[in-house]
Amino acid sequence: MLRASSRSLRLAAAWLASFALIASPWAAADETCNSPYIGNLIKGQEDYVYVWTLGIKGLGDGSDKLVTIDANPASKTYGKVIHKVSVGHRGEAHHMGLTDDRRSLWAAGLDDSRIYVFDIAKDPAKPRLVKTIADLPAKTGYVGPHTFYALPGRVLVQGLSNSKDGGGVTGIALYNNQGKFLASYPMPTEGGGDGYGYDIAINPHKNVFLTSSFAGKTNYMMNFGKLVKDPEAMKHFGNTMVLWDLKAMKPTRIFNVPGAPLEIRWSLNSADNWAVTATALTSKLWLVKQDAKGDWQAQSVADIGDPSKIPLPVDISIRADGKGLWVNTFMDGKTRYFDLSNPEKPVQTYEKVTGRQVNMISQSWDGERVYVSSSLLANWDKAGDDGEQFVRAFRWDGKELAPAFEVDFLKEKLGRAHHMKFGSNALKTAFEGAPGRPSLASR
Amino acid sequence: MIAGVVVLASLLSAPSNAAIQDATKGGELGFVPPAPGSYVLQHILRAPEGSVLDERSRSRRLSRFTTGKITLLSLIYTSCGDGSGCPLASHLLRQLRVRVDTNEKLRARLRLVTLSFDPDHDTPEVMRAYADGYLSDGNGPPWHFLTTRSRREIVPVLRGFGQDVWVAADGSSENAGRLPHLLKAFLIDQHGWIREIYTTSFFQPQMVLNDMTTLLLEEEH
Repeated sequence: MLRASSRSLRLAAAWLASFALIASPWAAADETCNSPYIGNLIKGQEDYVYVWTLGIKGLGDGSDKLVTIDANPASKTYGKVIHKVSVGHRGEAHHMGLTDDRRSLWAAGLDDSRIYVFDIAKDPAKPRLVKTIADLPAKTGYVGPHTFYALPGRVLVQGLSNSKDGGGVTGIALYNNQGKFLASYPMPTEGGGDGYGYDIAINPHKNVFLTSSFAGKTNYMMNFGKLVKDPEAMKHFGNTMVLWDLKAMKPTRIFNVPGAPLEIRWSLNSADNWAVTATALTSKLWLVKQDAKGDWQAQSVADIGDPSKIPLPVDISIRADGKGLWVNTFMDGKTRYFDLSNPEKPVQTYEKVTGRQVNMISQSWDGERVYVSSSLLANWDKAGDDGEQFVRAFRWDGKELAPAFEVDFLKEKLGRAHHMKFGSNALKTAFEGAPGRPSLASR
Repeated sequence: MIAGVVVLASLLSAPSNAAIQDATKGGELGFVPPAPGSYVLQHILRAPEGSVLDERSRSRRLSRFTTGKITLLSLIYTSCGDGSGCPLASHLLRQLRVRVDTNEKLRARLRLVTLSFDPDHDTPEVMRAYADGYLSDGNGPPWHFLTTRSRREIVPVLRGFGQDVWVAADGSSENAGRLPHLLKAFLIDQHGWIREIYTTSFFQPQMVLNDMTTLLLEEEH
C-alpha cells in the first residue's frame, strides 16, 4: 500500500488548518454541537437565536413557528423577537438541524412528521419557509422526525417512532439537501438492539457515528402524569446506544445504556476519541470511548443530581475545547456544569436554577454565552405557574451564569420555546455579497 | 461499569478480489474501512450540466466530463493565495492518480476533473499551465483542467454542485481576490450521478479509492 509522504501529510495538516478561518474541519456547534460537516461556524458574536416553537391552542395563532430573537448586544433590538414564521399548523414542533452549507434550517413536528425547510441564507434575520417535506412516513414507515444531522449534500433524519404501532422501533432516513428522499436505515432490533432512536452524532475521523434511544409516539404524545403511572408504558423507553460504520451505514456494536440515552456529543478535539450522553430516566452521564485495544466501550461515569429524585436530564452542550459540559435537568429546573477535564470522571462544579422547567441548552463557540429554553413536549411540560415558557440568555464567566435577557414566550403569544440554533449576518454577506463585492454564491 | 457489548458479525463482509483488497487497507486511516462493494453509495444528485472550456479553449458540455466514466471532480481557483488550500486539493488528486495508475481496471474507468470557479483569471491557457504542474507523474487516468468563459457560466454549475464560494466578510484589501470556499470534491458515476461528496472534514484518499472501486464493482455487476 502506498503511504502518504511526510510532505503530503504536512500539506494536509496545513490545508485543514487553513479552513479554521472559514470553518473548523472538526467543528460542531449549538455552536458546539452541530454536524462536523457544517461550514460557516459562528465563532464570534451570534446575531440571532432561532427558536423552534410549539404552538399552543388559543395563544396567538396557535401554530408552530420559527421565532428569531436578536442576540447581538450591539443591536437596538437586542433581546427582542424580531421575526416569526408560522407554519399554519400545530404538529409538536421539536428539533432542528442545519444543512452542511448552512443555507437551510430543517425543523419538524413529532406529531405530524412534517419537515419544514427554512432558508436562513437570504436574510438571516428573517428565515423563509421554502419547502415542506411530508413523505417521511410514506417512504420509510418512520414517524416523529427528531434529529437532523448534516452530511455533505445530505441530511440524516432520525425518527422516534413508526406509523404501524406508534412504538419506539424506528430508523434513520436520508434526504439530499434539496429534500429528495434517498434511503432509509432501520435501527437494529437484533443482537441486543431495541430498535429505538433519538440522536445522531458523527465522528468522521473514526468513520463512526453513534445513535441513542428514547421512546415511541404512544409515549411521547401521552400526558406525562399519566405516563409515569402506567407501568406498561414505562417499559417502552430506549436502553441502547448503537455504534455505526459511517461509510457503510451499518450498525457494528450495540451498547446497553439503560434509561433513555438522549443527546450525544463528541469531544471536538480531533485527538480525542470519546463522546458523552445523558440518560433521562436514570440520570447518569455515560462515556463512549475507545479502549487501549481500539475497541469502543460505554460506561456510566457520573450521576446527574440525585438519580432517585429523577431530575430528568434532557439536554447537554459540550464546550468547544471538550473540557466542560452543560446539563439541563427538566424537573428541578437546574442548569448544571460538569468539568470534563477527565471524561472518565466528570465532576459537577456549578449549578443554578434557571427556570421552573428547563429543556434545551445552547452555548456560543467561545462558551461565554448560554441560552436556555423551557419546553420539553406539549404533554410533558408542567402546568400552572410552573409551566412558564421562555428563552433566557446568560453570560458565563467560568464562575457564574449572569442573566443577559429573557423572552417570555407566553406573554409574546408565541408558544412553547424548544430547540435553538444560531444565525449570523456574516453569512448573508458571504452568501449574497456586499456592495462592490458580489458573491459567486448568490442564489 | 462496562456495558454489555454485542458485536454484529458478518455485516461488513469483503468481496474476494485481490486487486481490491490492496485498496482497502486502512493503516493510514486509523480504522479499517468497509471493503469496496460491501456498501452502497447513494444517488445524491445529478451532476449539473453547463458549458466549459477545455485546456485547448474548446467549448464543451460539462456532461462530456461527468458521464461515461467514474469521475472525481474538484472545484478550485488557481490563484488561491492559500498554498495549503486549492493547491493541496490538486495535490491529493495527483496522489490518487498515482495510486490508481497501478490498478488497471480502475485506471481504465476513471477520470479526474479540476474545474476553476474563477473564469476572470483562469483562462484555458492558465489552466494548461496549471495542469503542467500536476501531470508529470506518469500515465494514470486522464485528468482534465477546465474553466468557463464567464461567471455567468460558472455560477449555475456551482449552484448545481452545491459548492458555495463566498465573499470574504471583512472586505479587507488583503482578502481582495480571495474566493473563500469550503472545499468539496465530487465522486460521480458513469451516468452522471453524484455518489459521494468529500469535504475538508473527510477527504481521506484511501476512502476515496474505496468509493471509486465500489462504483467500479457496481458497473461490473
